[in-house]
Amino acid sequence: MTFTTVAAPSSYVGTPRRGPVTRLLEDERWLALLLLLPTVVLLGLFIAYPFVKGIMLSVTDTRVGVPGHFVGLKNFEDVWNDSIFRVAVWNTCLYTVVTTVFKLALGLWLAVLLNRNFRGKTLTRAFILLPFIIPTVLSTLAWKWMFDPTFSVINWVLFHVGIIDSRINWLGEPGLAMISVIIVNVWRGVPFYAITLLAGLQTISPELHEAAAIDGARAWQRFRHVTWPLLLPVTLVVVLFSVIQTFADFQLVYVLTGGGPANATQLFATYAYQIGIGTGLLSQGATISLAVFPVLLLVVIVQLLYIRKVETH
Amino acid sequence: MVRIDRRRLLKLSGAGAAAAASGGLAGILASGRAPAYAQQANVHWLRWSDFVPASDQLLLNQIVPECQKALGITLRIEMVNANDIQARVTSAVQSGTGPDIILALNNWPQLYIDSLADVSDVADKLGADQGGYYPISKAVATAGGKWIGVPWCIGGGLVAYRKSWFQEIGYDKFPDTWDKLQAAGKILKAKDRPIGQALSHSFGDPPGFWYPWLWSWGGKEVEADGKTVALDSKETVESVERALPFWKEACDSGGLAWDDSSNNRAFLSGSISATNNGASIYLEAKRKPDVYQTEKGAPMYQDILHAPLPKGPGGQYNLPGPFTNMLMSYSKNQAAAKQFVTWVNSKPIFEQWFTSQQGYTIGATKDWANDPIWQKDPVLLPFRNLPDEGRLMGYAGPPGRASAEAQTKYIIVDMYAKAVQGTAPEDAVKWAQGELTKIYS
Amino acid sequence: MIEGALWRRWVFFYIPLSAFIIALLFPFYWMVITSIRPDRELYRPWNAPNYNPFWTWYPTVSHVRDLLTQTLFTTWLLNTMIIALSATAISLFCGLLAGYALSRLKFPFAGSLGTIIFITYLVPQTLLFIPLADIIRNFHLGDTRWSLILTYPTFLIPFCTWLMMGYFKSIPKELEECARIDGATRWKAMLYIIFPIAVPGILSAGIFAFTLSWNEFIYALVFLSSPGEKTVPVGVTSELIRGDVFYWGELMAGALLGSIPVAFVYSFFVEHYVASVTGSVKG
Repeated sequence: MTFTTVAAPSSYVGTPRRGPVTRLLEDERWLALLLLLPTVVLLGLFIAYPFVKGIMLSVTDTRVGVPGHFVGLKNFEDVWNDSIFRVAVWNTCLYTVVTTVFKLALGLWLAVLLNRNFRGKTLTRAFILLPFIIPTVLSTLAWKWMFDPTFSVINWVLFHVGIIDSRINWLGEPGLAMISVIIVNVWRGVPFYAITLLAGLQTISPELHEAAAIDGARAWQRFRHVTWPLLLPVTLVVVLFSVIQTFADFQLVYVLTGGGPANATQLFATYAYQIGIGTGLLSQGATISLAVFPVLLLVVIVQLLYIRKVETH
Repeated sequence: MVRIDRRRLLKLSGAGAAAAASGGLAGILASGRAPAYAQQANVHWLRWSDFVPASDQLLLNQIVPECQKALGITLRIEMVNANDIQARVTSAVQSGTGPDIILALNNWPQLYIDSLADVSDVADKLGADQGGYYPISKAVATAGGKWIGVPWCIGGGLVAYRKSWFQEIGYDKFPDTWDKLQAAGKILKAKDRPIGQALSHSFGDPPGFWYPWLWSWGGKEVEADGKTVALDSKETVESVERALPFWKEACDSGGLAWDDSSNNRAFLSGSISATNNGASIYLEAKRKPDVYQTEKGAPMYQDILHAPLPKGPGGQYNLPGPFTNMLMSYSKNQAAAKQFVTWVNSKPIFEQWFTSQQGYTIGATKDWANDPIWQKDPVLLPFRNLPDEGRLMGYAGPPGRASAEAQTKYIIVDMYAKAVQGTAPEDAVKWAQGELTKIYS
Repeated sequence: MIEGALWRRWVFFYIPLSAFIIALLFPFYWMVITSIRPDRELYRPWNAPNYNPFWTWYPTVSHVRDLLTQTLFTTWLLNTMIIALSATAISLFCGLLAGYALSRLKFPFAGSLGTIIFITYLVPQTLLFIPLADIIRNFHLGDTRWSLILTYPTFLIPFCTWLMMGYFKSIPKELEECARIDGATRWKAMLYIIFPIAVPGILSAGIFAFTLSWNEFIYALVFLSSPGEKTVPVGVTSELIRGDVFYWGELMAGALLGSIPVAFVYSFFVEHYVASVTGSVKG
């Protein structure tokens, strides 16, 4: 009897032999493990581990070169009673809130402007992102030069336009210094908001606007009832990112004012650096960093919940 | 994946260690010669950017090659903003690598006692050879009977002032009491020529003025036992109360944000009439007589004189700024570093540097008071006697670790800054007392 | 659309837009003009007479020349470039794999792991830099490039992961299943089918990661100390301020030249950058 080879539909026809490793990788779970391993190792080693170490530092009294002893919550108590720390936290909150409001308002305005078609639109869009692209430290140095008490070009302009007749000490007066820092942060952040909100605007189909216009809605009403609600999810996510970054901001203040004058622009990040690295009081510095983490977490959780609520709407 | 990762990680640590040890390609490129493995001794010296630029030039252009020739040591000098030095020390100690020798200001060595090498052998010999160290140099550079650093020099401050401007308002000599200075300052400020004084977080000018201010009213940080904090006293409160009208009526309000170079710039551009400073203002004006001129077109340096800080009811004081070279204990080049420090402090070598300073600093050992440089310019002669008349932070206790921490946290300076910005004097003093107590406990 | 009169277009469109553009780009113009301005013009007080700050008739290259010859600026540029490229490569690698795993594979704790990666993004560098310095020392990475190449991915990976997740989610599952029916292993399907489709996403994430690396400051400030190891942001801020004087000419030249590489790379990938910014927000 001859066997005719019947082409039986078998799952092994035409497939190469698979070794044990390949078989393992077929399993979704093992593959996932493998794929996630580099990430988990890196993040574990350089985020989780230092975070834990930071907590340990904050409950000892370590100074540079001197290992510390366990002191329980004494550092937190000291930090809480530290008036400069309180000023730093207040400054950080003020800084975050004010810059976010301005970045959102101005970013939205710019996005609306860019939403039209005009000649050179693509080029403009590329150029206006520059403040966000360029390393913060470098552009802040340019602003520092622009704010210099003796050579400020801003003062020159204001003087020649007639608005002022004696110099504005941008970085030297406590109130003005905070305003200067806010100005630079807003300058830097507006493009990010604008580009993101622009993308959001572009997903809103023009028919909606036309329909509303036909119904007699004016520009402002169209914005309030059509544009804004549709833009809200994108807006909230942008604000979330931005708040996290601004709350932990370091570079801008470090370069522009160093936290001064007299702690008027001291943020918790710059204060932690000053105490931890500048004065070498490592435990105190770590405590300052950690003390603010719950606040940040709270802010983020609130925002996330709000986002979820809006999205499921 | 796992294996690759671990191998990668090990390779990385190996590469990292090798890169750290050799100083990197950049170091080799910068020295302009091919890497000579093994025998070459390298010493990395971290210093502040000197306010007398000529001295830094001298170090780079003459001392470095001379060191190579005389000792076979490749000297690498790094100059940074003085206010960044402490952060560098912390980073270096924390990461276990960094410069071999770091030049510390004020009494910073006291903060790093456990990270510094014992240099008693070097310091004892230098002191013996050169007439002994000034007590203030010794105080900041020793701890527990050992030398933790080798003193380099002492910087001092006097009030630099515009002779003609003070003469115009009737003061042929610089006001010698605070009341007189305040009165003069009030008139000058009305003419847009205020007194300029930093009231900020910078290493030199703010402590250099405000500690002597405190002392001149009779205030002090601690008692002589070095432990009892004595800041909160009638005298201190008075010093704060009196600082308010002085600041408002006579001083440039921008001083709250000044760093150590701001008053230099303000003085040289004609915005302030007097400021407590080292000799750098005068030296810079003298260096460029056609750039820095008076409003009448004459070279400004001819209009600059120096006077001591005025007296108060508690006396007349100044705060010198000692400089100390610290040898870091993590350094792998300790023998070469010690050799270098001994050599650079020796008479013929240090003389070159000292001469370039033109009187901006005083030598840490007493023999340098006899150096011919002091005969060259009478305007600078007053600086020579500052170490003998100076007091250090932490008075009346020793200038140890606690006082260094207090200075680095700018507690005394902030006490005045707070008051000037609206805190009631008693509250400002109480706050400072509380902060000091935490540190000294 | 702004209908109607020309004046309306000017008031509501051209003027505000121009104002924005001027405000956003003026500091760069200022950087340029300061870099080429001779010293004697630079240091004139703001209220000195006959002073035109916006233009100079005597441009000079001395600042740029001094920057390039008397400082280690070129070294810093090289360092920053190497660090940014390496960190970006590592982050893309990790982000690609992790994004695929989290979005297309089913396994226990998938959701929690995604959340955890998100939470690590919340831990800012300013919180970790002090204990991290210790860890860097224990691994003997202090004052080397590797201290940054290994730590930068910590804030780059979460972002890359989300971005890739967004891209992967939009690829239909059928694509993979077809490939597997045709006999490809899951691994091969991933490599040869899915990843190529995600190339735009990879480019977007890459350019964003690159600019973020270039922008990082505090880790570089704390972990590096030798002048030869520094990155551009740290080098420019720490070594161009000498004692009394801020060398503004050199500082601005440094700021300008330090910005150019990033701007240059960015200009090739503008669309991708914009896509990454918007994609991350939508994802």
